[in-house]
Amino acid sequence: MRPLPLWLKSGRVQTGLVIIFILAVCAIFAPHLAPNDPNEQNLLSILTPPAWADGGDSMFPLGTDSLGRCILSRLIYGARVALTVAFTASIGAMIIGAFFAHIAGYFGGWVDWLIGRVVEIWLSFPPVILSLILMVGLGTGLRNVVLAIILVDWTRFCRVLRSEVIVLRRRDYVAAAQLVGFSHWRTITREILPGTLPLLITLMSLEMGVAVIVEAILSFVGMSVGSETAAWGQMIADARQNIYEAPFNLIAPIFAIFFAVFGFNILGDGLRRTLDTRLTQTERT
Amino acid sequence: MRPDPFPDIVIRGKRMFATIAKLLVKRVLTAIPILLIVSALLFCILRILPVDPAAMSLPPNATVEEVEAMRTEMGLDRPLYEQYGIWLGKLLEGDVGRSIHFRQDVTSLIGSTLPATIELAVIAMVVATIFGLAGGLFLFYVRGTRAEAVMDFFSILLLSLPEFLWSLFLLLIFGVFFEVLPFTGRLSPGFERPVVTGFLLIDSLVTGNISTFFNALQHMILPCLALGIALSPSLMRVLRSSLLDAYQDDYIQQARLRGLSEKRILIRHGLKNAILPTLSLMGVQFGFLFGGTLLVEIIYSYPGMGNLMVDAIRNADLPIIQGAGLTYCIAVLVISIVVDSLYLILNPKLRVR
Repeated sequence: MRPLPLWLKSGRVQTGLVIIFILAVCAIFAPHLAPNDPNEQNLLSILTPPAWADGGDSMFPLGTDSLGRCILSRLIYGARVALTVAFTASIGAMIIGAFFAHIAGYFGGWVDWLIGRVVEIWLSFPPVILSLILMVGLGTGLRNVVLAIILVDWTRFCRVLRSEVIVLRRRDYVAAAQLVGFSHWRTITREILPGTLPLLITLMSLEMGVAVIVEAILSFVGMSVGSETAAWGQMIADARQNIYEAPFNLIAPIFAIFFAVFGFNILGDGLRRTLDTRLTQTERT
Repeated sequence: MRPDPFPDIVIRGKRMFATIAKLLVKRVLTAIPILLIVSALLFCILRILPVDPAAMSLPPNATVEEVEAMRTEMGLDRPLYEQYGIWLGKLLEGDVGRSIHFRQDVTSLIGSTLPATIELAVIAMVVATIFGLAGGLFLFYVRGTRAEAVMDFFSILLLSLPEFLWSLFLLLIFGVFFEVLPFTGRLSPGFERPVVTGFLLIDSLVTGNISTFFNALQHMILPCLALGIALSPSLMRVLRSSLLDAYQDDYIQQARLRGLSEKRILIRHGLKNAILPTLSLMGVQFGFLFGGTLLVEIIYSYPGMGNLMVDAIRNADLPIIQGAGLTYCIAVLVISIVVDSLYLILNPKLRVR
């Protein structure tokens, strides 16, 4: 058997991957794992405490919300929205951000100036405000949440990657490729992109965490998916209304969001340590 | 006092302020086109909405003719660029329009909520700076030990809790389980509410209303802690790594050879250089923090701009969304200009003739 690649040996990367795997299993097999229908309202048993507490019902292991919906089932189904948004939004933001970063860094001059100014305008908005305004313009729904996050967060990739491209394009092998007569497109994809790839992957992993948070924020203020789809932010909004009667309802979705974001962050940190060639050996261990 | 080692190279004293003034003018001038474009974008995004402001400002039983008349009166029948021109002209006179939902001028609505948000953001920034500096120094202090690995792991844990989860978390612990701190609004009922500047803490002090002051302060503890704690881990990590970088440089070794104490080396040489990257990160982060107040305000029912904005969004109240969006944007630009000026003061390398 071949030995594991260096990045897979990192404990952080392994932790992150395990967490994401658990979430992915919840999301994919949600109908089999959830004890109840996440949207079924049991108005006779609203705000029941978790099964282990006094007055708990074993039918609802983590209790019910203000409409008598099963908290555990909604948590499991909520992983679907969170992961869908995390993967699609971060891939989209990565593609747009990386495209502009490579063009700006490679060509320099007025192209760089123009892209730099656009990023500056974007950054003059707090991200939360910009995504809310975009959601007002786009309307609610899963597709629009993804679109809003892509439109807000591509600048994160663009800013960081651009400076990396500027460093790489001064390398001798890039000049050599140009001398041999590689087209600009080929130089960027064959010579520069492999150099920026480690940073790109790291940023993407961190962006997935950001996307989970932004989706939770949007669904908390009711600007994400419709009310018929279970999302963690909505659960928080519901539990905030009944904080004295059922404080546990708040803890469950908070923990779910934290768990997911931590998974993506620790994966990103592990990847950064193992993939970044500029880090010293001491910092890596 | 020691003589200035570089009297000819670095601009200091009165001339330094002239340099800063020049930077300020330049930054304000570049902010104007940014604001123009942002306002145009805001205008366009919100105009593609499928809501009719004319129909919304009339009672539900209005006739089609009345709605049409209102549309003409509001200028909605003209081309988009003309509408934008009119809107911009009024904006420059300080008129952002009238809220459809609250039936009040948007300027007065923003004027009454903005001080609350600024108060929240400024105190949160102070909290974040204190936690960030202390944490960064501690992380640096334990470098190379076992504790470092633990602390480093801990800081990733902290990074995974955004301000909105911290707010809920602190609210649960200190507001619900232990009931030691209030968590709704700016003041408990029954307290007198002096209005001078709109900044409650300042107003209550100026009018000598000490009980109001302390009550308002109690209401701010949880939201400010939530915002501050959420921001501090990234500051900690940057300060730590810039301190590590600074300690690689020869001047630290040289200071050791001169027999300076470690404390003096840290403060006069290490921190003085390491604070610069931290400061430039703070500029970006404080801009984000201003946006983060939105959620914290909603969670703590704090009557600031964030609550106004979300109310406006729920009611599709376009004038408020435009006005508040623009105000947030101005706030971010102001913060970044202030941080840049500070940077110029603290970094003599940027003031070379």
